Amino acid sequence: MTDLRVGIGSLKLKNPVMTASGTAGYGAELAEFFDPSLLGALVMKGISLEPWQGNPPPRITETPCGMINSIGLQNVGLEMFLREKLPFARQWDVPVIANILGTSADEYVRLAAELDGAGVEGIELNVSCPNIKKGGISFGRDMAVFARLVGAVRKTVKSAALIVKLTPDAPVAEFARAAEESGADAVSLINSIPAMAIDVNTRRPLVKNVIGGLSGPAVKPIAVRMVYQASRAVRVPVIGMGGITEGRDAVEFMLAGAHAVAVGTAIFSDPMAPLKILDGIRAYMENHGIKRVSAITGSVRT
Amino acid sequence: MKSASSDTSSILSRAAVKSNIKLNASNFILGLVPERALPGPRPGQFFMFGIDSRKDPLLRRPFCYFRKEDGAIQILYRVVGRVTTLMTGLRAGETVEILGPLGNGYPDFLGSKAEEAGNGKGKTPLVIAGGVGLASVYPLLAGLDGRAHLFYGERTGASLLLVDELRRLSGQVTLATEDGSAGFKGTAAEAAKVFLKGRDKKDFTLYACGPNGMLKAASALGVDGYIASEEKMACGVGVCLGCAVKTAGGFKRACKDGPVFKIGEALFD
Ligand SMILES: Cc1cc2nc3c(=O)[nH]c(=O)nc-3n(C[C@H](O)[C@H](O)[C@H](O)COP(=O)(O)OP(=O)(O)OC[C@H]3O[C@@H](n4cnc5c(N)ncnc54)[C@H](O)[C@@H]3O)c2cc1C
Ligand SMILES: Cc1cc2nc3c(=O)[nH]c(=O)nc-3n(C[C@H](O)[C@H](O)[C@H](O)COP(=O)(O)O)c2cc1C
Ligand code: FES
Repeated sequence: MTDLRVGIGSLKLKNPVMTASGTAGYGAELAEFFDPSLLGALVMKGISLEPWQGNPPPRITETPCGMINSIGLQNVGLEMFLREKLPFARQWDVPVIANILGTSADEYVRLAAELDGAGVEGIELNVSCPNIKKGGISFGRDMAVFARLVGAVRKTVKSAALIVKLTPDAPVAEFARAAEESGADAVSLINSIPAMAIDVNTRRPLVKNVIGGLSGPAVKPIAVRMVYQASRAVRVPVIGMGGITEGRDAVEFMLAGAHAVAVGTAIFSDPMAPLKILDGIRAYMENHGIKRVSAITGSVRT
Repeated sequence: MKSASSDTSSILSRAAVKSNIKLNASNFILGLVPERALPGPRPGQFFMFGIDSRKDPLLRRPFCYFRKEDGAIQILYRVVGRVTTLMTGLRAGETVEILGPLGNGYPDFLGSKAEEAGNGKGKTPLVIAGGVGLASVYPLLAGLDGRAHLFYGERTGASLLLVDELRRLSGQVTLATEDGSAGFKGTAAEAAKVFLKGRDKKDFTLYACGPNGMLKAASALGVDGYIASEEKMACGVGVCLGCAVKTAGGFKRACKDGPVFKIGEALFD
């Protein structure tokens, strides 16, 4: 028997595979394909205090082995999330991780307080959002702002596991360490990487917003490197993601130091991807005589 | 041990290629026989189509349900890029993956719901197709019992597809080409506008599919009805929010809330 259980702070997962925020909605659409209870955790689309409209279309374009999206964090807002989306997700036997985003530290704190009170099992801080007070530079790239933000949210969150999702365009080890020192229960990475593509015939950017986020297999080697560096810098668990498409990709992240993994873009190519990846991890463990999945974490031979 | 992923949903299937017929240099009809019976499909619905790969090409591509023939589901596709070029190389017997039928489709325009769908007796269906938007409205024509007036536009006359068949399926066909090499000189929506001059717009119900510019023009004709969006999609199942269509109530998803929208609901800049 393979033991797939992993712990992320107070979070006990039955297996290490979760969805990546923004790639599984709030669970309902995915449930048309499989029972979300089979997942380690369900990470919800990012939530802000008020609903966000998002960016005008076109919002997506495929690039070699990847895609650029400029969804612009469109979401239904906290109230609707608490009234409809969260109760709906409660029908499944799966921990729910809310992903939050704001334009000021105060917004993050209020969101975290409400969600913690509502009983979500995890709160993931997306710090890649523009900080209005600092002229739009993201929270995740300004060390002082970042540490204060994590610290303030930490004070608010009593029961949920606090996960800080690091920005890919900042020095990873330093920010992972700062997240840990400010009280994070775990760090997750990578978020999509700022990117751009142009149609040479029309000379227009392929997403209307000009710049979007690159995700999918194209980012995987960068993500594995960052997970490796983050896991060496901190003692708290690391959740790895970025281009995971099959079981061996997930194993690669775990070898690099991830305790759990999230599947994002692969869901777009195949809604069954998270379960196939879980099957792949299990097959790897059987082939290599590994009994506990947590034994893989960090076991890369360097 | 039973694998967790073996319980696949009823709309995910591998499919065998039955035929891949070339209509002209850049347009083909692909016939697919799914390994498991799929529900429907209805006019206006679509499939996410993937050639066996997870990395490159990465995403599946959306194609309308075109028609059923000899037990195969057919899609009409135009070669415009990476995946559609790869599709031309598919041979009978090869396996591909399809997900669908997806989306709402056109309203049930026959039977008890006909009045509600704005298709009561006495209304003439105006069907406007821009380019390969033809694939979306094609299955409507058959269902409309030859009552439809089809306006079908392409850039140039040589690109017009299936013209004899379209004439058989429709009450009337107006062809339009942007270069004037065949039929009306201009777009299909412009041809419809000329036709509507002096006529009572309440006598018609509109069904349109094509590029956004054409949908905008069709929406401005003043006739009630439906447009089908072809906004770019990543997932096709409602989870990515990539396929945004602007409406008065904010952005909606073409794949899940559409692709068919009531005229006036979808707004085009
Ligand atoms: C609901 C829906 C139904 C569709 N039905 C059909 C159909 O029945 N037959 C058919 O031939 N096509 C249809 N399309 C369009 C088809 O999906 C695209 O042409 C296809 O994805 C192009 O893939 P590619 O890899 O060949 O092109 P890519 O290499 O991805 O792109 C090539 C070029 O095509 C453009 N393009 C890509 N996707 C779209 C799109 N959705 N709309 C407009 N331009 C696009 C790109 O911007 C680029 O300029 C439909 C689209 C949608 C959303
Ligand atoms: C369409 C889309 C929407 C996303 N939305 C969010 C979001 O709301 N919050 C967030 O923290 N990350 C978001 N992400 C980033 C993913 O959660 C993930 O970090 C990234 O895509 C890398 O993983 P992948 O390559 O498996 O997709 C989004 C990614 C995509 C592609
Ligand atoms: S294509 Fe993903 S939501 Fe419509």
